[in-house]
Amino acid sequence: MTLTQTASALDADAIGRISDRLDEPGWLRALRARWWERAERTPPPTGQEEEWRRTSLDALPRDVGLLLDAPQLETHLSPDAAEAGVVLTDLRTAVRDHSELVERFLGQADGPGSHAHFWALAHAAWTGGLFCYVPRGVTVDGTLVARYTLPRADIAFHPVSLVVAEESSSVTLLEEVTSPDGAPGWFGGIADVRAGQTARVRYASLQQLGDAAWRVGAERVVVGQDAVVTTLNAEVGSKITKLGLDVLMTGKGGTSKVLGLLAAGDDQQIDINTVQDLAADHTTSDLLYLSALYDRAHASFYGITNVRHGTKQTSSYQECRNLLLSPQAGAEPIPVLEIEANDILRCGHGATAGAIDPTTLFYAQSRGLDAESAERMIVRGFFEQVVAKIEDETIRERILGALARRIGTTEGLA
Amino acid sequence: MALPNPALSQIPDSYKYGWHDAEQPRTTFAKGISAEVVAEISRIKDEPKWMTDLRLKAYRHFEARPMPKWGADLSGIDFGDIYYYVTGNSEGGAAQSWDDVPDYIRRTYDKLGIPEAEKKYLAGVGGQYDSEVIYHNIREDLEKQGVIFMGTDQALKEHPDLFREHFGTVIPANDNKLAALNTAVWSGGSFIYVPKGVHVELPLQAYFRINTQNMGQFERTLIIADEGSSVHYVEGCTAPTYSTASLHSAVVEIIVKKGARVRYTTIQNWSSNVYNLVTKRAVAHEDAVMEWVDGNLGSKVTMKYPSIYLLGERAHGEVLSIAFAGDGQHQDAGGKIIHAAPNTTSLITSKSISRGTGRTSYRGLIKVYSGCERSKSTVRCDALILDDDARSDTYPYMEIDEENVTIGHEATVSKVGSEQLFYLMSRGLSEAEASAMIVNGFIEPIVKELPMEYAVEMNRLIQLQMEGAVG
Repeated sequence: MTLTQTASALDADAIGRISDRLDEPGWLRALRARWWERAERTPPPTGQEEEWRRTSLDALPRDVGLLLDAPQLETHLSPDAAEAGVVLTDLRTAVRDHSELVERFLGQADGPGSHAHFWALAHAAWTGGLFCYVPRGVTVDGTLVARYTLPRADIAFHPVSLVVAEESSSVTLLEEVTSPDGAPGWFGGIADVRAGQTARVRYASLQQLGDAAWRVGAERVVVGQDAVVTTLNAEVGSKITKLGLDVLMTGKGGTSKVLGLLAAGDDQQIDINTVQDLAADHTTSDLLYLSALYDRAHASFYGITNVRHGTKQTSSYQECRNLLLSPQAGAEPIPVLEIEANDILRCGHGATAGAIDPTTLFYAQSRGLDAESAERMIVRGFFEQVVAKIEDETIRERILGALARRIGTTEGLA
Repeated sequence: MALPNPALSQIPDSYKYGWHDAEQPRTTFAKGISAEVVAEISRIKDEPKWMTDLRLKAYRHFEARPMPKWGADLSGIDFGDIYYYVTGNSEGGAAQSWDDVPDYIRRTYDKLGIPEAEKKYLAGVGGQYDSEVIYHNIREDLEKQGVIFMGTDQALKEHPDLFREHFGTVIPANDNKLAALNTAVWSGGSFIYVPKGVHVELPLQAYFRINTQNMGQFERTLIIADEGSSVHYVEGCTAPTYSTASLHSAVVEIIVKKGARVRYTTIQNWSSNVYNLVTKRAVAHEDAVMEWVDGNLGSKVTMKYPSIYLLGERAHGEVLSIAFAGDGQHQDAGGKIIHAAPNTTSLITSKSISRGTGRTSYRGLIKVYSGCERSKSTVRCDALILDDDARSDTYPYMEIDEENVTIGHEATVSKVGSEQLFYLMSRGLSEAEASAMIVNGFIEPIVKELPMEYAVEMNRLIQLQMEGAVG
């Protein structure tokens, strides 16, 4: 395995050497240089920003080495799909085999404003990533899965996932990442997801990083005209997770469901910033984040629904629920509305935090369950609100399996 | 439009409104603030040294603190261009007559159906005779019960120990920048002490007191409800208050002792050139109940988040907030509840309406400290957006560090439904009347908490604001 400069020692030359080493085409070399310049111009958050008041970056392991030899991204694509022009491969291979396609889409837009520095950094310093491309009119059957298993904990890795679903296409994709427990590392993955006109996209991300890992990343989802997109972020691992997620409703009539499942314990901190940007008429965006918090875990949620001036007939909802399962657990759900239009169909938000209702617990125990099993069943029931919305069986099973690591399994319970 | 903002141009720049106070000599400082100005205010008021020192300490703090960068746009405030002190012992201005009252204010009074004498009274230019009788009756009754209700300056002189024991204990001199400014230059305001077990049946109104003790732009109110007592205080402006002053920065401190109950009602209707930046905070001890009823209709910018620290077990806090923002107005209002004891409960209900280019923002905080078991809090915000260029925001902060709690927040944003309008108009109402009726229905849950005369005025004020809003 080859490591290069630490994040704190990165400079333009080091970025150039990544291109040298990967023998990259001129356009990519120039693209990296531009994003590096941007990263330098956009300094990391100071902690004064509204979105960064709840997570300090002081202990971010900036001195671990950047992973140059990315591990193989496990993907599987059926020959039929490949025949139809679908691409599912790691980003480096895609640059080699589909250079023009990647050039068209990679690094073409800004990501979440709160994570601008990290968005730029990843575009400059990526050494791995995913390219998923679904051509116009193509429906991909089954579930595409792409999985990274990081070889060690004490590394920095900034992969870029680029997912493009062209007009009238349909795809279901699950991305997973795991890393070993132990030493602090920095996983800065970003995702750039575009759904073209009338496309159907289900994109799930399952994070199971090691117990000392920092997951500081961002995701940008663009929903085209009449497109329907469901995103799901399941955050199970890491010590600190700080995720920025923008869902941009830029096409008329687009629909998005923005789902999140968080199960955290020990000293885990999860801090999610979302923006649902309703920028076109007749768009719908509903967000639902559920957290189950054990031990001393803390979940923050700062999400903005922005209904743009002049838009008509938009619908949106934002809901963040936190189940506190230990006296030391904490939650800060902050769902923000910024509404600049009056012709809205529906707009609202809700947030809750609290323990399991003792009556519910009592009831479950009166049916013969011990306290622990009862709690497990109730947490599983709490998550059902999101789980029931996951249509894809593969994704549902993978995510429930991962969550079981924290919440236990309900198998065998009545 | 009922309250045409252009009418403000009728107000000459040098015009200072206030309450008539013919016996006091006028002292006017030059614009701007300095340690000398602060010390001079204290000297003129003949204050004890501790107050002078506190003012100066607060002034240093005001100087050191940055302006808030969040919330409303405050860039229009120039602290160097403000009169911090105008007359001998009160902020009033020159003696005035009814003829000096701008037309638009007079029209509003007419529309409110307020009798001539009272109109003059509300405008602060009426003869004191009109109200002296009522004022005296109330005062006698209260005095029998041992209730103290007087101007804050007067209380400092007449009840120095009680005053010093409580002043600045809820909002210290080194609080936020604007509260620090108030501590440095405060003048006027109400001081209320309700003895143990005394229930003041009638709402106490600044209205009755103000006539003899002027209310300033930096007034300071301190309310102490001793154990088992209760009082309802209703603050000033029940009709458009007019002022050319650019900044109103009051501080209100309330101490609700064991088992006591305080309700504080404000209907704020400053003229639309005022920055209204007010710090209101209450502490509620064991079994105490504190309620803020806060209506914001006027001002250019309001930033006001009445807060309640629930310090004793079973204390209960409520904030009922109504905000109405018309053209060019930004109402950034809400409430804060800090649960610092077990079994405490709270409720925040916010209703906001924005029309024209108005913007309403609900900004609130619910904080539950670890160990405050079985605390419960509900926050409910509803916003109504009446026009294409109007805007509504909701910023509900929640910090929950205790597991065994039930905390919930919910908000909706909506417009006036065309079906609702159509139905009402089919019953013969004009579009404006129909909209006003819908808006009145929308704020009903809060208006019904107001004393009758305020509820009537509130509904009328909303209707005035709504006239010409549609169609």
